[in-house]
Amino acid sequence: MKSKFGVALVILLLVSLMATSCAPKAVETEAPVVTEAPATEAPAETEAPAVTEEATYPPAPEFIELGSSISLTGNFGSLGNLILPGYQIAVEHINAEGGVFVKEYNTKIPLRLTYYDDESDPTKAVSKMETLFSEHELTAYLGGGGSSMHAASIPIAEKNKVPYLGISFALYKIHQQGYKYLFSPFPKSPNQTEDVFKILNEAIPEGERPTKVAVFAYNDDWGKEWGGLVKERAPEYGYEIVVYEENPVGVNDWTAAIQKAKAAGAEMLLTLPIFPDGSGMFKTMAELGWTPKFSLVIRAPEGVNWGESLGKIGEYVTIFPGWHHGAKFEGVDKLNARYEELYGRPADLLTGPAYACVQILAQAIEKAGTLDRDVIRDTIASGEFSTVIGKVTFNADGTGNVLDPLIQWQNGKMELVWPAEHATAPLIYPAPAFEDR
Amino acid sequence: MKKNLSFVIALVVTATLAAVPLFVKKDSLLTYLCMILLYVSLASSWNILGGYTGQVNLGHSAFFGLGAIATRLLWFAGWNILLAMLVGGLLAIAFALLIGSPAFKLRGAYFTIGTLALGQILYATVGNLFPQISSMPVQDLISYTLVTRYYLFLAVALITVLAATLVANSRWGLGMMAVREQEDAAESLGVNAFQHKLLALVLSAFLAGLAGGAFAFFQIGYYPQYPFSPIWTLDSTMMAYIGGTGTILGPIIGAIFFVVLKEVLSLNLAEFHPTVFGILFILVVLFLPGGFMGLWKRIKDKQQKKRESMAELSHP
Amino acid sequence: MLQPLAQNIIYGILIGALYGLAAVGLSLVFGVSKFLNVSHGELLMLGGYASFWVFKLLKIDPFLSIPLTIIFLLLIGFIFYRLIFSRLIKLEVEKKIQNSLLVGFGLSTILQNVALRLWTADDRSITTAYSGLSFELAGLRLPAVRLISLAISVVALISLQIFLKKTFTGKAIRATVEDWQSASLMGINIHRVYLLAFVIGCALAGVAGTLVSICYSIDPSMGLNWTLKSMVVMVLGGLGSMIGTFVGGIILGVTESATAFFIGGNYRLIAGLLLFLIILIFRPQGLFGTKEGDR
Repeated sequence: MKSKFGVALVILLLVSLMATSCAPKAVETEAPVVTEAPATEAPAETEAPAVTEEATYPPAPEFIELGSSISLTGNFGSLGNLILPGYQIAVEHINAEGGVFVKEYNTKIPLRLTYYDDESDPTKAVSKMETLFSEHELTAYLGGGGSSMHAASIPIAEKNKVPYLGISFALYKIHQQGYKYLFSPFPKSPNQTEDVFKILNEAIPEGERPTKVAVFAYNDDWGKEWGGLVKERAPEYGYEIVVYEENPVGVNDWTAAIQKAKAAGAEMLLTLPIFPDGSGMFKTMAELGWTPKFSLVIRAPEGVNWGESLGKIGEYVTIFPGWHHGAKFEGVDKLNARYEELYGRPADLLTGPAYACVQILAQAIEKAGTLDRDVIRDTIASGEFSTVIGKVTFNADGTGNVLDPLIQWQNGKMELVWPAEHATAPLIYPAPAFEDR
Repeated sequence: MKKNLSFVIALVVTATLAAVPLFVKKDSLLTYLCMILLYVSLASSWNILGGYTGQVNLGHSAFFGLGAIATRLLWFAGWNILLAMLVGGLLAIAFALLIGSPAFKLRGAYFTIGTLALGQILYATVGNLFPQISSMPVQDLISYTLVTRYYLFLAVALITVLAATLVANSRWGLGMMAVREQEDAAESLGVNAFQHKLLALVLSAFLAGLAGGAFAFFQIGYYPQYPFSPIWTLDSTMMAYIGGTGTILGPIIGAIFFVVLKEVLSLNLAEFHPTVFGILFILVVLFLPGGFMGLWKRIKDKQQKKRESMAELSHP
Repeated sequence: MLQPLAQNIIYGILIGALYGLAAVGLSLVFGVSKFLNVSHGELLMLGGYASFWVFKLLKIDPFLSIPLTIIFLLLIGFIFYRLIFSRLIKLEVEKKIQNSLLVGFGLSTILQNVALRLWTADDRSITTAYSGLSFELAGLRLPAVRLISLAISVVALISLQIFLKKTFTGKAIRATVEDWQSASLMGINIHRVYLLAFVIGCALAGVAGTLVSICYSIDPSMGLNWTLKSMVVMVLGGLGSMIGTFVGGIILGVTESATAFFIGGNYRLIAGLLLFLIILIFRPQGLFGTKEGDR
């Protein structure tokens, strides 16, 4: 009995294994096959759209389908919950006008956003991305938040050949993988590490600049990328890195790092702490008595509650969040008004870029005149779009040419301090010592 | 009779699973099945040490991660995926042999938390050594087929379940269960507890390593640290318990239940799905002690008793 | 050289005290009832949030509102015990550990999600007027809030010890740990003892949470890390010894700090865990463990 069981199973196993060994090796480089993208059609119809320019158009699909696998719970839940409203409000506004006009069908078609919580888990993100693709005739994916989530989701979009618009990640490495369907209208590490020194040199006269720099980074790829770029750029602009400390991603005790920074007389802090880590870092800085004259702190202070949680300890930190509700672009007021209705405050930092993603898509679809994903992809790649984050064009690697505003926490509020034409308040420099606040 | 029946059922199930890609074309469904098969492997492999031998190992993800990282590195370097996976499994075995002797000096809760710490150390170390994202090159995305991934996961799941079945029904399996029940008594009867525990650990490690290899083949972009995350251990452990440890079907049922429930909830209840999942989970634990297999066993025992009492009545 | 090292060690002690306090609650519950409550970190989180909201809405100083936090966690602990954990007491030891693990897992999932929905994923911190204040002593900076936290942790520990050693109820608890059958025969209400140990464990977690919200910050997903940390410290110190657990926490904290200082932040956690494992190999019952680890 057992031997028969064993034999049958072994045969089945061999069959399965033979099937898997037919899988191509990872390094095979096949030139990507350029296929003719099939035109998206209404679900019920099977006819190809009419070729000749006559009065009859194919029946339009009920919706333009957008799909999003987004972290609403878990480590990146905070990001997802800021991004989703941006998408939703944009869809709402566009649909209020009847939707997007698509020449192919000679009518306006409303947008529909389907989203699933990926629980901040990259494997679940993959699963949700596939589910979205299978369930709907997707025109585009809208991304969630967090580099590791994007890193898992973007390849799926690429594999399925669906345009992917994502924000809330500055990791440039993702754009160096050769993805064609990825578009990110968001500042990246190269922008941020360059802009900080430029802005400081612009705003502060030579003798008063905080030339001694301390960098507190994580040892993950964004940390290393960002830190590496800072090390490169600092000397070009006249800055010196006196302390460079790394910690693993997670909540850490930065005491040792802060001690070293204080001992080295560092005047400026560049750091990328995740949300819970930022609070501990700054409290420890206050306790140990080290106040950098200028600090660029990306991530943690982007939470709306930073000012309240940390009070005077959290003041004067600056951020490159990608956008601010005070930016003077067309449509920002409308977005702020709606956000105020829903949440009782003007739009959050990630809401603008999220809203812009949908705007870009809508404008691209209209320009392309079709729901063909590849045509839309090409239109996005070559187009110029006017959005709540300003004018947007894209580079070949999918990065966007966007404004990279600098925000500073002042008096418990986030103020836009650079560039001047959008500023809601001037940059406060140097930051007063913790004990004097 | 019963053995024949379960053999036939197993064969039918296996054949059906093997035929699935012929009539399931949706990538999302295939991905979903891959996940179920992956968890079946993880839960079943954990069960060999945790269920049958009674040593609750909370560092299981270390083996999963080691298999994944070895496979990924070799596969990207051009090796055949199957060979790469084999090396991954062997690496897991090597690690198991390395820690086996000191680890088994610890008993009970100490062993559990000791293995937990070990898993954490590996997680942190891999995060330090391999901080960069591991991503399949774009050119290869064209040739990425989900069907092959499915068969690989299926193969690993079958190997795992087969290995578990063979061991459980062997003398080794009896020894392991004896160690679980009363280690000292078993020793006095000549059962070398250490050997049995080590065998269970090594087998458990190898199978988890294979699962890791399959994962490395499947997931296009991830951080190398990710498979070492304690969440994998916790999930597999929960699945084995919910299904019923110390049985073959237990981890399988547990894995299916867990994954399906989570998926159904998260697709339908956007914001509160973890809460509902937690509540249902607690209810199952409280009212179905011994998991689903425990319930099944109780039902069968009741039927058995009924049959016996009926037999009694007809033959006084 | 000596001064920064000393500064670092002090911080290590301060955070170690938090580890210790958190672990003591877990150890008490496990020691008495063999429940391995893996939602311990979430209870800590709840304590933190309680203090935070009392501070924000009622403007009560977080150290002064600790009694409120304790009451809150006693209540919550009571509810969880009655609803969930009390149903596990009839099981045998192994099943108790196993099922409490399972149930704790489910509970932690629920609490994390509820916290997220109620209070958003943003982390919160309590910053008082004296939050950045530090005393200078021989060139070393001693932050006020951490000193107070250390004091509170020690007070909590001592109170617990006094309770266990000097009061009747405390002795009843210790008797139950030693031999619950005899204890029962002596007229001790085992169920009452289990309940008491559980709610006290929850209260201790809550106090630790308050201290964490003052010294660091709290957020809905912080629980798992604290649970894992508490489990390690509990075993490091040794099951059955509250003071041992606390000392274990301090040892871990100091190890982590010293490692960060001498070697680098990347190795901080690894060094602590390695130390833990090495100690465990040479002393399988933990540093101050009183009994052999049971199955």
